Amino acid sequence: MLKMNQRHIQHLYWRAGFGIDINFLKKIQSNSRLQIIEELFSDSEKIIPLQLNLSEFTSIKNKSANALKKEMGEQAFQKLRQRSQKKLRDLNHAWIERLSESDGVLREKMTLFWANIFVCRDNHIFHIQQYHNTLRENALGNFRNFVKSIAREASMSKYLNNKQNRKKSPNENFARELMELFTLGIGNYSEEDIKESARAFTGWSFNNKGGFLLKKHQHDFDEKKFFGKKGNFNGDDIIDIILEQKQCARFICDKIYKYFVNPIVDKNRLEEITSIFYKDYDIKNVMTYIFSAAWFYDDQNIGVKIKSPIELLVGIRTIVPVRFEEKKQFNYLQKMMGQVLLYPPNVSGWKGDKSWINSNTLMFRMKLASLILNNAIINLEEKGAFEDSFDTYYKNVKKRNRYLKTSKRWDVFLKKYGNLHPRQLRDFIVMSKLDFDTETLLDGLEIKSNKDFCIQLMSIPEYQIC
Amino acid sequence: MKRRNFLKQSTLASSLFFVPNFVKAFEQVAKKSLGYKKLVIIQLSGGNDGLNTVIPYTNDLYYSNRPELSIKKNKLIKVTNELGFHTSLAPLKNLYDQGYLSIINNVGYPNPSRSHFRSSDIWQTASGANEYLDTGWLGRYIEQYGKIPYMGIELDDTLSLIMKGKNSNGIATKNPRTLFQNTQTPYFKKIINHQSDSHLSEHNLGYLYKTMIEAKSSAKYIYETSKIYKSEFTYPKNPFGKQLKTTAEFINSNLESKVYYASMGGFDTHANQANRQSNLLKTFSTAMEVFVNDLKQHNTFKDTLILTFSEFGRRVQQNGAGGTDHGAANNVFVIGEDLKTKGFYNAAPNLSKLDKNGDLIHTVDFRSIYATVLDQWLQVDDVSILNKSFSKLDFI
Repeated sequence: MLKMNQRHIQHLYWRAGFGIDINFLKKIQSNSRLQIIEELFSDSEKIIPLQLNLSEFTSIKNKSANALKKEMGEQAFQKLRQRSQKKLRDLNHAWIERLSESDGVLREKMTLFWANIFVCRDNHIFHIQQYHNTLRENALGNFRNFVKSIAREASMSKYLNNKQNRKKSPNENFARELMELFTLGIGNYSEEDIKESARAFTGWSFNNKGGFLLKKHQHDFDEKKFFGKKGNFNGDDIIDIILEQKQCARFICDKIYKYFVNPIVDKNRLEEITSIFYKDYDIKNVMTYIFSAAWFYDDQNIGVKIKSPIELLVGIRTIVPVRFEEKKQFNYLQKMMGQVLLYPPNVSGWKGDKSWINSNTLMFRMKLASLILNNAIINLEEKGAFEDSFDTYYKNVKKRNRYLKTSKRWDVFLKKYGNLHPRQLRDFIVMSKLDFDTETLLDGLEIKSNKDFCIQLMSIPEYQIC
Repeated sequence: MKRRNFLKQSTLASSLFFVPNFVKAFEQVAKKSLGYKKLVIIQLSGGNDGLNTVIPYTNDLYYSNRPELSIKKNKLIKVTNELGFHTSLAPLKNLYDQGYLSIINNVGYPNPSRSHFRSSDIWQTASGANEYLDTGWLGRYIEQYGKIPYMGIELDDTLSLIMKGKNSNGIATKNPRTLFQNTQTPYFKKIINHQSDSHLSEHNLGYLYKTMIEAKSSAKYIYETSKIYKSEFTYPKNPFGKQLKTTAEFINSNLESKVYYASMGGFDTHANQANRQSNLLKTFSTAMEVFVNDLKQHNTFKDTLILTFSEFGRRVQQNGAGGTDHGAANNVFVIGEDLKTKGFYNAAPNLSKLDKNGDLIHTVDFRSIYATVLDQWLQVDDVSILNKSFSKLDFI
């Protein structure tokens, strides 16, 4: 029975989740690697969709915009719609809370991962909530079904203009990004392939409720030529042909490797997992394979990835339970660090790793633990939005409380971590190997409280890495 | 160790402060001369309505498309026999009269995006409409020619894409004192003061330490250099005025920073545009005139070029809410002392030939402006920064 040492379990849980709680680690430590991995997956079996209470907006879902305008008047309708769009923030907050609360950490981590593959943005609260849950639902499922579901989503149809894709005047945007960003990568298809496949997705549209709708009169039923094949292909056929290309499995595995294993890709390992994934496109299978592989636990793969802002934030909360009294302050933190969930910069998503870091974000990220746990003063402001008026664009600071309003459960922390030797605490919080001088600095500290030491550890550059 | 002690110790450490050699090495990089020219980029964020900024007051199509929103012939500042300025631009007209302003009409790019986010990214990265670049054109300039963050300063607290390179970035600050203070927090300072130069090679960890050291060194340089000079000019009391004032203080204190970026918000005027835009243009032009005078007084205007753009212009036809919707091509303002083409660089927009959305069609690619500025003003290789060759214009 292959046992896992503490560092390896931590590594697994940093990559498959957002770090690990020490009591949980103690609980599973005596299990075999196989059991630990099985439990990781079984904890994520249940799919719990993220659902806001949107009852006040059901009319938006049930009636068309035109019907509503007639019924309630243009202005009242615009107001209702604006209010519904503000709910996106609630969804964002609920998502961040979910990341700290869920037992199904792997499903949540995968959902975050896929949200940066099938990148989409929409301010229709019903459609984007549904889209978001489609990601969660398929996160560990079959990639083939996943792509086909995404292609049918209302939010995606809008985001990449497939709703404007008609037989008479095809719009190639979706077909292009499907291949460039979702499945194959640039250079692995021809312009002709884009043109032909765009035809196969003509008429793919949606109804108000966000359900898929094939507008037959706009769909091109004629013959298409795609990747050397001929047929009266529809969108599903196109996706099947794309998945026949091993490059598709390789493209996704490359993303998986960079996200879950190491930002620097080992070509042999990539080919190894590509072959696994290509067999059946089963996401759970390939993830199980990776987490079970001995090389996943090689030293060179541990503590080498720069945390995303969300990983950083949620990771702190894994160790010290913190409640945010004002959910709005999530917005501030996300904006300052450059990752606002549901608001990706563009269809290619966040670049990740090094691109999270510049002088400004690094200083802020190193101060994050103090802001959340130690009432450090906020002295920086986030940017305004394009749609803001001049006053709103600049106003933020006057209104905001100068501290993050959080309540920290130090009692819980101390119960779990209070008696650890500082060295043990250090090894538990920091995954990266330590810079020599910083290590000397830490060794020289006279540590009276693990609470303070915890904040200090979370404030060193090494904590930016997992 | 108690936090109090930790604080105390760090205060102690500061009195024993020493600068490791490799920090000095970083600071030296910038010393190799890149000339004295400065570039200031201003984004009118939200999409300024160019047609009500520079008004084609003899064009009937302008008036017929905007029955309520058009600006009457007797309510504008006539500049040429077909174009006039919005009355809020009186300060800009002063600059125009002195030959300090060049206006390039119809600037845009093929297949324009009408999304703020996307189009702003396109302008900031100098990409085409179908390309997604993750570095900004000023970021690439910094990466190739300055390396150290303070080579490019954004007047804000977070860094925009325009200032990001692959391994080097600019730095954002609207208050150098705050920036400096943030490198003096106990944890940050203590770690940095304990660094020697032996171990910066580790892939990501090394990058973090490098960034941290550069941040500290840039913050210190910006703060200590600029604090010796405080502008005596009275800027309008609003955040944009403050951004320009700080920029003037940076430039006039001879900071070696080469490129500056500031964005002024509020231009997304879908409704009740008339008053809003009038206030915005007033804010913009008043601050701009003071800024130019401030630079002139200190003999730095001759070395400064100011470029103002918006991520897009607005639709020719007004909408039902007394505003305008997202459009395409727009005008760009170039402000400087020794402009080759003073006044209007090219012909007014053609309102009879619009694209299928009813938007202006560009005649000048914005990247031609960038190429010209890089090549002729900053005197660097524009092709390596823009990844492509664009024809140059003739305004500087």
